[in-house]
Amino acid sequence: MKLVSFLISFLKYSLSFIIVLALWEAYARYGGLNELFLPRPSKIGAKLYSLFVKVEVIEQGTIYWHFYATLAQMAIGFCYGMVIGNTLAVLAAFNETFRRYVAPYAVVFNVTPGIAVLPLIIAWFGFGWESKIALATLVCFFPPFINTLTGLLKKNDEAIELFQTIGASQSQYFWKQQLPNALPEIFAGTKLAITTALLGTIVAQFGSATEGVGILMQRFAFRLDMAGSFASLVTMAIMGLLVFTVAEVMDRRIVFWRDAKGLERASKKKQRKLMVNG
Amino acid sequence: MVATAKKAEDLSRFGQTVIEGKNVTKVFGETVTALEGANFDIQAGEFISLVGPSGCGKSTLLRLVAGLIEKTSGDVKVNDDLVTKPRTDIGMMFQKAVLLDWRTAIENVLLPSEMKHRITQEDKDKAMASLELVGLKGFEFHFPKQLSGGMQQRVALARLIQTGADIMLMDEPFGALDEFTRERLNVELMRIVGELKATTLFVTHNIQEAIYLADRVMVMTPRPGKIAEIIEVKFERPRDISIQTSREFNIIIEQVRDTLGSH
Amino acid sequence: MSYSTSQQTKNISLFKTLPFHLLIFAVLIVIWEMTNLYGFEDQIQADMIAPRPTNIVLAMLDIFIIDKTVWKHLISTFQKALLGASIGTAIGMGLAIAATLSLTFRKYIKPWIILLEATPRIAVGPIFVALLGFGLWSAVALAALVAFFGPFVNTFQGLMEIDEEAEEMFRSLGASRFQTFWKLRFASAMELISAGWKLATASAFGGALVAEFIQASEGMGVLIAQYVIMITMDYAFAGLLSVTIFGFILFKIMDYFDYRLIFWKNDYLLLKESEKRRKKAGIV
Repeated sequence: MKLVSFLISFLKYSLSFIIVLALWEAYARYGGLNELFLPRPSKIGAKLYSLFVKVEVIEQGTIYWHFYATLAQMAIGFCYGMVIGNTLAVLAAFNETFRRYVAPYAVVFNVTPGIAVLPLIIAWFGFGWESKIALATLVCFFPPFINTLTGLLKKNDEAIELFQTIGASQSQYFWKQQLPNALPEIFAGTKLAITTALLGTIVAQFGSATEGVGILMQRFAFRLDMAGSFASLVTMAIMGLLVFTVAEVMDRRIVFWRDAKGLERASKKKQRKLMVNG
Repeated sequence: MVATAKKAEDLSRFGQTVIEGKNVTKVFGETVTALEGANFDIQAGEFISLVGPSGCGKSTLLRLVAGLIEKTSGDVKVNDDLVTKPRTDIGMMFQKAVLLDWRTAIENVLLPSEMKHRITQEDKDKAMASLELVGLKGFEFHFPKQLSGGMQQRVALARLIQTGADIMLMDEPFGALDEFTRERLNVELMRIVGELKATTLFVTHNIQEAIYLADRVMVMTPRPGKIAEIIEVKFERPRDISIQTSREFNIIIEQVRDTLGSH
Repeated sequence: MSYSTSQQTKNISLFKTLPFHLLIFAVLIVIWEMTNLYGFEDQIQADMIAPRPTNIVLAMLDIFIIDKTVWKHLISTFQKALLGASIGTAIGMGLAIAATLSLTFRKYIKPWIILLEATPRIAVGPIFVALLGFGLWSAVALAALVAFFGPFVNTFQGLMEIDEEAEEMFRSLGASRFQTFWKLRFASAMELISAGWKLATASAFGGALVAEFIQASEGMGVLIAQYVIMITMDYAFAGLLSVTIFGFILFKIMDYFDYRLIFWKNDYLLLKESEKRRKKAGIV
């Protein structure tokens, strides 16, 4: 039953897609659409098929290789960005001096458009993976920093008083109240970081690269192979959706107390655990 | 039950001074005198209400006793011991339940037990009993957001019971609830306090509530905050809701209003 | 006695903290300068990785005052960003308004919006450049594409979130659908809408730069890239600094507009506006 309702809603959603695609195709075939601007869906589909199923080798690699390279660069940049951003946030949350005098520099980094720094990054890190990872790190460290900091600084006078009256140490207060209380914000920052890291990676690939979906798209575009560049775009959309979904799922699972469904699920789980343990 | 069995031995403490304040003054910054020259002597098992408008120092007094803030001058003693830092022989309740949203009711109740040692089965049993005592049997695995305001405060009360403290400090715990829930919880609170033989300090701005619950009412006035009068409430326990309409009750209300009005 | 979570940032006035800020900044600059002069074996390498602050300052002077090279590029980027932001905002707000008013429209564009949100829109850059050329329009198009999302999401959220009781009040006063839309929904959404404008400006700026970077005839993206290719890193840094400062000024301007527009967020402005209206009504 659930499967049927899922399929129905899926169909409803895709309806607008299907309509648009059909109109698009018709316009291309019979309406005289300038396919230099907008290739017909069937051509894009064919290119996608060629890339993913026939595993065509493009720019010295298969699409899977380019996909993987981009994902890997993004993941590493994301990790670096998270470590830097969250560490700075924790330091800033607990030390007022640090917060006052170092935070402005973080803001400056954020205000500087990542793309403007790219030429410098390439000059420093070269054309390989390092420059992509570096740019990804640079653009994605700020959301975790600002969000985690906000989360940790949330005012909670009464919670502090409560913990004091039950004899909790500073560390106990941090782990049992302050940190869990900041999780919604921390994950908001994480979600932003992951999407920004992907953006940074792709943009860095425009600078120069031998592999990656970004450079693939650029090469296609410059050769005016529009089907190819749109196919790369679709690939990037898939990547984006994938990444975004992973982040969302993690958020829903870990910060479960945000919505009623998550609460119910967790509550039932706890009850079941009790049954088992007796 | 586990909770009541422990409290039986406290009968022997009846008549002893448990909380004492001598000329207590608290000044915030340089200019705000929140409390001036407060003198109080609270005995074991008493229920004391602190009532007054905002700025009268009732919350300040409560926090001084809890050790959450330091006095400017005077002496505050709990269990014959000068109060210098947050105390664990007292338990507190706030206007907000202050439950951890990511923990179930029972996990919230177990919070005090986690502080000094690993949770034992005894702790868990005690927590289940506390939740039952406050009328939340069957809700142990619910999360705070799944509970109503009144129920959340009950969990907070169960948590207080879990601490094993026999001195309860409450800062307008029912202030955010609707009239009906508040009335119901007042009755519950009196029952529980009676069973536990606890000494209670209860802050409220609701005169009826203050008188209904208390053995003595400390009426406080603002600017500067001070204890204007201490009124005895001599109704027998257990107290029915209906006493609130009796003549004697209303006389006390008038007394309180008078004290508050003339300042 | 309380935990040292430093949650309250004492509001020390800027007057007192400024000297420290300047001191720390000065120390950092000195360290930087020293690193360049003594931290590397090869001076050329040093100038490439960490060009001397003094040289950067000289470069700034050069491009701004002496040679005045930077102005044309700054203006070009600014033009593209502004145009892109305007177009993107217009489209974004238009779609949001349509989505608010029509349930069917909302249902049908929802999947597209989700798709659009997940796709890194900036990635469309090369396509635009290939199709629209190296001039103004590829940058404007990319800027618009990147900029439209913020206003769309914000405007939509702002228009959809209305106080039910306020809506009931309007209905009880006999307001038409248009009046309710304009006087209630739109007015209460202004705060979010204005925030959306700020987002649009920021994104458009970045979008324009990316397009320039991919390929363009002029603009700050082009300038910085050129300087890097010529390995005059001090000039490249100068360019970067200019972009940052320029962007910062732009954001501050937008902030100011937001501040004046949403006057009810600020007590001081509220007072002034109240007085202004009183004077207007002729009551002193």
